[in-house]
Parts: sequence; C-alpha cells; structure tokens
Amino acid sequence: MEMQPATDSRLELWHELMQFYIREAWLLDERRFREWLDLFTDDVFYFMPRRLNIHRSEPERELSPVGDLAIFEDDKTYLTMRVERLETGMAWGEDPPSRTRHLVGNLVAEPQPGGEVKAKTAFILYRSHHETEENVFAGYRDDVLRPTAGEWKIARRTIVLDSNVILAKNLSVFF
Amino acid sequence: MVAIGGKHQIINLETGQLDRSVFVDPDIYAEEQEKVFGRAWLMIGHDSLVAKPNDFFHTYMGEDPVILCRDGRGNLRAFLNMCRHRGNRIVRTDAGNTRNFACAYHGWTFSNQGELEYLPGEEEAYYGALDRDCLRLVEARLDTYAGIVFATWDKDAPSLDDYLGDARWLLDVSFNRLDNGTEALGPIKWLEPVNWKTAVDNCSDNYHVPTTHLSTIIVQGRHRGIPRLTHEQQFQSESKHLFVNGHSLTMRFLERADQARQTHGITADNREAFEAYYRQTLAEAERRLGSLRARRLQLGNHSLFPNGVLGLRLAHPRGPLQTEFWHFALLEKDMPEELKTALRRGSANYNGVNGIFEQDDMDNWRGVTNSALSPIGRKYTQDLSMGVGHDRRHPEYPGVVSERYTSESNQRLFYRRWEQFMNADSWDDIPLEPKAMRYEGTATLRG
Repeated sequence: MEMQPATDSRLELWHELMQFYIREAWLLDERRFREWLDLFTDDVFYFMPRRLNIHRSEPERELSPVGDLAIFEDDKTYLTMRVERLETGMAWGEDPPSRTRHLVGNLVAEPQPGGEVKAKTAFILYRSHHETEENVFAGYRDDVLRPTAGEWKIARRTIVLDSNVILAKNLSVFF
Repeated sequence: MVAIGGKHQIINLETGQLDRSVFVDPDIYAEEQEKVFGRAWLMIGHDSLVAKPNDFFHTYMGEDPVILCRDGRGNLRAFLNMCRHRGNRIVRTDAGNTRNFACAYHGWTFSNQGELEYLPGEEEAYYGALDRDCLRLVEARLDTYAGIVFATWDKDAPSLDDYLGDARWLLDVSFNRLDNGTEALGPIKWLEPVNWKTAVDNCSDNYHVPTTHLSTIIVQGRHRGIPRLTHEQQFQSESKHLFVNGHSLTMRFLERADQARQTHGITADNREAFEAYYRQTLAEAERRLGSLRARRLQLGNHSLFPNGVLGLRLAHPRGPLQTEFWHFALLEKDMPEELKTALRRGSANYNGVNGIFEQDDMDNWRGVTNSALSPIGRKYTQDLSMGVGHDRRHPEYPGVVSERYTSESNQRLFYRRWEQFMNADSWDDIPLEPKAMRYEGTATLRG
C-alpha cells in the first residue's frame, strides 16, 4: 500500500474507519461479542493463515495460502458458534473469561471500485487469563469493508500473526 | 528378558492409583527424553510434506531438531539438525528444497544424503587430515506407515511394523483405506503449559467429552445439525478401548458401511455428500481391508506411544511443564475438493489452537500437570480406577480390550507402558505383543 496525498475525502474516510476500528476494539474488550458479530457480513471469510519461518528469498511461501491448513478459516456460522458457545456459561476455556486489550492502529485505507474499501491495520492484543497467565499477540489485519445500509461491514478479514510457534495455550480470543 | 519391578513404579493396575510426580519432576523428564524419546518410533511427518526430490521439512523427535528430507535419489531420510563441527543448526527454516545444507557458522556443507561434502580450508587449515566420513550428519532410522513418517534413534528398536503391532489392524480403517493414500496439511504449532503425558492420556479419555466440551456440543447441534451425545451412547455403547504396545485406540462400530465417519467438519448439510463418497470408495476399501474393517469399524480418539495425539498430531515435550503441539490435517487424496475443504476447516476450527473443542482442553491438562507442583496435592495419587477389572484379552480384537467405551483402561496401561520404557536397560527389556490378527485385504504397512 502506498500512502496517498491527503485530500479531504481521504481524510474523512480515514477518520470514519479509524472510529469503526476503535469501536470494534471496545466491543471486544468489553465482551460485547453479539454486537461485534454484527460488524461482519453474512458471507464473511475470517481467515488466519499459518506464518512460516522461511528464507528471505521465498517471501511468497511465508503465509499459507487459502486451501492449505489455516489457523482460522471461519464463515459466519463458525464465528457465530464461537460467540454462542461463550453464552452457554460452559465454554471453560473462556469461563472465567480472558481480560483483553486490543490496540489497533497504523490504518491504511484504499477505496476500491464498487464502493468497498481495503483497510489494513496493525494490532497488539494483550490477554491476561486466570491468575497470572499473560499472552501478547502482535500482527496485522487485512480487511475488505463493504458499505451496507449506511454502515461498514467486514466482508473479509485476514489476520496475520507475527509468530511461527504461537506462544499461547490457545486462541480463544477474537482478533 | 523382561525386567520385573524397577525404579519407576507410578501406576497400580489393581487400584488405578497414579503417582503425580511424573508430570513435573525434572529428573524424570530428563530420563524420559533418553529412555522413551530416545528409543521409541516417533511420528515425525508425512511423505506428502517432502513430495519432490530435495524437499525438506523441519521437525522434532522429542526435543531434538530433525531434518526430514527426500534425497536426490528419492529416499526419505531423517537427520539430526546439528552441524558435526560445533553443533550449530544447519537448517533454520520450516521447509524448503535444497541439495545440501550449509552451516551459517563456518560453512561446513552436508549433502541431503548426510555426507560432509565441503568445508572451507580443508587442505590448509586442517592440513588435509580431517576424516570427513566420520563427520556425517547423525541419522535416525526411518520407516513409513501408509505415508506417515516415523523415526527412531535406537538401532536396536524393533521394526516399525512390530512396534505398531496389531494396533495397525484398527489404525488402517482411518489411515490406510484407499490405494492413493493420504496427504498432510500443516502443521499449526503452539506451546501449551502442560506436561506432554496429560495430552496423550486425554486421547483415551472419552469420559471428559460431555463435560469439557458441552458448550461446543450445544452450538454444533444448533448450527451444524449434529445430535448431542446421549447418556446411552456415552455409557452403554458397544465401542471399546483397545491397547496394543502402548498405542491407545478407541474402536467404534458403524451402523452402515456408508455412514459418515464421526469426524469434525461433517455436518447435516454435507452428510449426504460424505456418505456418497464412502459408498463410492467402499469396494476399494473392502478389497484393501476386508469386510469387517471396511464396513463396520471406525477409529475414535487414539494416541500412538509415546506422543502421537489423535491422527497426525504431535505433542513435542518442551520441559516438564511445556509441550509444543503440532496439528496437521490428514486427508484422503481421492476425496472431492468440497469434502476436503469441509474436513480441513473442521480439523482446525474444532481441534487446532483455536479449536472450539480443543481450546477447552488446555486448562484441564494444565490443572492436572500443576497439581503435582502442589506440596499437599502431590501427596495424593491421581485416581484412574474407572473400569479396573473390566478389561481383558478379547477373542476378536487385538490387545487389551475394555468392556466399555468410557473406561480408564487405556490410561492405566499407557502409564504402565511408560514404566516399561523407563525401567528398561535396552529394547531387550521392553515387551512387545506378537502380531496375532488376521489382516484381510491387500493393505500393507507401506500403504
């Protein structure tokens, strides 16, 4: 992504999307997962590829492609199952729940023909669980945002962690 | 001769009481790296991960980093990832394709057949006196079962065929069903704060499923049309545990030959397509496995001794209190793409690091591990008494067979197997069950 000259319309879009992502982060950290789920289109593809440890000369092999085994490869139904699971009160991996803090920034937004926007953000996700467990996940998200009934919805999200072996017991939190 | 008694007495088979110290004791951990991981045949990968000549895949045998490669002649090989000069790692990536491995420290270069091919200054600095033949890469014994690659460091270990023994009789129904075999995707890798044995033991714990995984059972019933496990299925089914040579298997019975296997990713929406696939492949499976295995039997939760956990998944020990998990998806190559996609997604989304089943397991294993750190808790044994006295030899099935699907027979016998390895001076002291099953059909160890 190249930085574009800052015209009024681009600044306006950047602000609007930054507010969208700030709201999303608060929804997650305040455990308002039903409202978070509503940020996604019904045909969403929520994807986290594996990140391989590969020589600099082979950058095309660093992320596992769609069709290979991925860490997340969710549709709306899988995402809904993840959220509804928590509501049963018996999703023991998240009950008691993780305490999370999503810091999202470095937004770059690229409008696409047809009204969709490609939006790339970097994140740090801090998680504290039970008494003393801590994880820090860092990475970036590549989203496709679609204007739907006056609101932005996430139609596609690719999450790339900056980890090879994930240094956590599980990924029971949302990215 | 099989030794009686020995230093490690951790499980009482009559009472089912287990000494918890095996989960946390650093001396025991160090000893099991030698006596269990240094001796056993360990799953390390799959031939599809190194499909082309000169492909390599970086893996582990216990804590030892290992290069699994296909040499220029097409032979699979497993080398310790250690330069014979100072001991630096000669491979630092997950996978690739190369004829030789050059050490980044001083440039010693090894072929993918293990020879020290080149070193800078051989004539001058070493005066031409270095015996390169003595400085080959350290190589493990390697064999394959239906494409799954195993290796052992112990030159006195029995053959892989004997090591698996009659466990293969049932493993074949999942891994050896079709002529074209399977392909492996992955792995997803993550680090869990658990002792490796707690995860292996859990593979035969059918008891925990309705409690630990209830939230997911509820939502997959709601969204995927998968009926909830009934009390009768859980406690009165005719499914059984089988235990052969350390390998812990759950055997389930199919109601119909084309019944969709109990596998993550199969849903009400795609069940018919899976059943059509099983119908289409039945004749081939029956030719390979015979009628009983092709039509009636299904492999449930299982582990391969010591650290193969549920299919091609590995629990690499990383100290007494940590385990690195590797999750692969293993798919039949002939399966239509849409079904492969369903199983691939189901595989990771139910049982990977983010799996809606598996993410509820880790805190249990951590709790079990850490109970042995408790000064008071460790004075109390772990209770594995479920079904004591209700497992025995069976006229039709291999190994020790539990009467019931929900039993701790396999757990007790897993820890007994661990004792046998830990108390043995060599493979001469480790008992192996002779193969006694009749293998109907054409399938062999190699596929």
